[in-house]
Amino acid sequence: MPHKIILVKDTGAVENKGVDFNTMLANQLRDSGAAEKASIVPVADIGVYDKGLVLRILPDNVTYSNVREADIKKIIEQTVLAGKIIEELSHDGRDKQLRIVLKNCGLVDPDSIDDYIRAGGYQGLRKALLELKSQDKVIEELKKSGLRGRGGAGFPTWMKWSTAKNQKTDQKYMICNGDEGDPGAYMDRSVLEGDPHAVVEGMIIAGYAIGASKGYLYIRAEYPLAVKRIEKALEDAREYGLLGENILESGFTYEMEIRLGAGAFVCGEETALIASVEGKRGTPKPRPPFPAVKGLWDKPSIINNVETLAAVPQILSNGGDWLAKIGTATSKGTKVFAITGKIKNSGLVEVPMGITLREIVFEVAGGLLNPEKKIKAVQTGGPSGGVIPKDFLDTPVDYENLGKLGSIMGSGGMIVIDETDCMVDLAKFYLGFCVDESCGKCAPCRIGGYQMLQLLNKISNGEGELADLDKLKRIAYAMQKASLCGLGQTAANPVLSTLKYFEDEYKAHIVNKKCPAGKCKYLLMYKIGEDKCKRCGVCVKNCPTQAISGNREKGFTIDQVKCIKCGNCTEVCKFEAVAKE
Amino acid sequence: MKKISVETMDSMKKEGVDTSKNWIKVGMSTCGIAAGADVVYATLLDEAKKRNIEVVIKKCGCAGKCFAEPLVEVNVEGLPRVTYGKVTAEVAVTILERHVRNKKLVKDYIFF
Amino acid sequence: METKNLDADLERIVKKWKDKKGSLIMILHGMQNLYGYVPRETALKLSQTLDVPLARIYEVITFYNYFKLEPPGKHNISVCLGTACYLKGAADLIDEVKKLLEINEGETTKDGLFHLDVVRCLGCCGLAPVMMIDEKVYGKVQRKQIAEILQNYH
Repeated sequence: MPHKIILVKDTGAVENKGVDFNTMLANQLRDSGAAEKASIVPVADIGVYDKGLVLRILPDNVTYSNVREADIKKIIEQTVLAGKIIEELSHDGRDKQLRIVLKNCGLVDPDSIDDYIRAGGYQGLRKALLELKSQDKVIEELKKSGLRGRGGAGFPTWMKWSTAKNQKTDQKYMICNGDEGDPGAYMDRSVLEGDPHAVVEGMIIAGYAIGASKGYLYIRAEYPLAVKRIEKALEDAREYGLLGENILESGFTYEMEIRLGAGAFVCGEETALIASVEGKRGTPKPRPPFPAVKGLWDKPSIINNVETLAAVPQILSNGGDWLAKIGTATSKGTKVFAITGKIKNSGLVEVPMGITLREIVFEVAGGLLNPEKKIKAVQTGGPSGGVIPKDFLDTPVDYENLGKLGSIMGSGGMIVIDETDCMVDLAKFYLGFCVDESCGKCAPCRIGGYQMLQLLNKISNGEGELADLDKLKRIAYAMQKASLCGLGQTAANPVLSTLKYFEDEYKAHIVNKKCPAGKCKYLLMYKIGEDKCKRCGVCVKNCPTQAISGNREKGFTIDQVKCIKCGNCTEVCKFEAVAKE
Repeated sequence: MKKISVETMDSMKKEGVDTSKNWIKVGMSTCGIAAGADVVYATLLDEAKKRNIEVVIKKCGCAGKCFAEPLVEVNVEGLPRVTYGKVTAEVAVTILERHVRNKKLVKDYIFF
Repeated sequence: METKNLDADLERIVKKWKDKKGSLIMILHGMQNLYGYVPRETALKLSQTLDVPLARIYEVITFYNYFKLEPPGKHNISVCLGTACYLKGAADLIDEVKKLLEINEGETTKDGLFHLDVVRCLGCCGLAPVMMIDEKVYGKVQRKQIAEILQNYH
């Protein structure tokens, strides 16, 4: 038997007479005479959650979950000594994640084109240029794959390409949208930084398919490292003859250039992005004409998002059918989510379409940050998306299902919300973002957003009326119908979806003048609990508005009229005597 | 100009990314660097040289486990490949000495 | 910074970009990278060199959040107000910085030492709430720690 390594993630679930699991395991190993045959390594995380004490035995690579003290003996006898797997304990330790776009992130050195080629890179380009040798055939592979835009709307990529391909003109452009503006989503940054060549290769293939000779990579200026790595990637690709004149001796010539964004969320919208690449203010234009017909400098242009482009090389090298096998009937492949908020393991996860939200939250990302709290909802799609309440956590994730629930796939921000988060406050946050970022060109977005924000402020300040809810809905509807671009059309989504599922919370603010989550500070009341108060007077000294009166004999009280709810008193009190209500 | 040929690409693909047996990779994206990956990377390079430990040290992109940054993946012959998380300069030295030189896993810092 | 030569720097950047279409934003980036903001003289000069009305240039500068019209402070504080940071209390951090330095968002302290900006997502959501001073990122910041952090820059 080879030497075994037992990785243990001790959750404290098994403890006996003050002896921890590792000690028990070590003792029993010694007693069974197996001390030399295995070593125990406690680990920080094993990737299996909510399953009690978990251990993994190497090199067998079996994972046992919900292990109890009584199981130790069996594990030592059967697995450690005899190499047999105990079925009833074993846990399917397979990762629910499936890495396609993030395949190389963490594998290759992003500054090394050799690493990328060693990982199978530029084979997709080679296949397109030297084997398929036809724009139509490349587009056909994309069609087979079912790939849809990962930037938000989910438009089939092949359809866009095909429209641009069919335009007869002297010049066409390919543009990569790397202006990741959704606060809370950063998968594009990770791909640009971790696997820049995948995006470059995707751009070259796309350029070939639509018949462009020039590509622009539009990247946020706030991502300096991503820009640096892409610059290096372009330089190396050029040197290897994978970019520039006569790529791989195929006769195809293509150049690429970087353009920096400058901090405008609206530039994620295609026509605004085009204006920005042209060096102008990023204001959108009415569509049609669509960019695929009349885009950058009035030439047919295709804009694809980073994640979409990064999937293209593998679709070519593995064939479209390969991707089509993954996912649901209408949504193929995988999606990267940036899962943050009240979640234990914040980070990027790439999962096949069709996985449920519950699996993502509890199995892939380890459950809630504070397991004592209850999950309230998951927000997807950022400022253009909506909330999905906990009752719908078992919905399989794809474009259609999220749409039906009043949210969107969006660029992949996923925010986990627990019971301490206020829905009115959240809606206000997202709407405030869109109001800030509205370019001001069209009235529904410019005025509508502002008016809605005023109403939300009124509600969270405790001055709301029930009629305000109808007003919110009316303005939201007008914005959806009448705004010029996607920003305005979707800006009301967070408000509408919180209203749809959490109207009670709005009403609590309006009717009872209470914020159930304790977030909206104008609805809070600070009170000094007499039982806990030691009458030290620190709060009096720290109150900026002299709202606390009293003395050391009688105790102290807070004057609710003078109180500005700054929270100083709660913070300075050593005895936790000041409570929020 | 040293244009690459299709044949070279194929043979490189066949060899794969990790051509050496013993290697360490440090996740060096914005998030990792913010958490201190640059210090860890520099420490590994310096200390490996100082201590005469032969191992290839590379940087790589973000593997997505932001909660555990900085992340260091280690592959040493005879041991399973593991990823250490929340690595500090001190832990980096321990990884070199204990994991790479003495071929024993470092406790408490393994993530997956 | 005074030793830098505005005109020469601008000329160099314009030379690199002038033959390319739609390069105004890239030129502005170049100047902001050198000076931390876009000086008015630059905009004027650029208007003459490129033969573009000054209003067109200001239209672009003021549209984008990234471009600044005022010189930055010696140290620039950016507090992230992305969703993850927001949920984890970034608003409190902003209040605290404002209180300690007696400035508002987008302002510089009287002594020119600190400049405060509120930004949308620094892309370190795993470390939320996050604030950045110059190039250094501080993660999982608590309100109480801010005074101490700022002390390092005095």
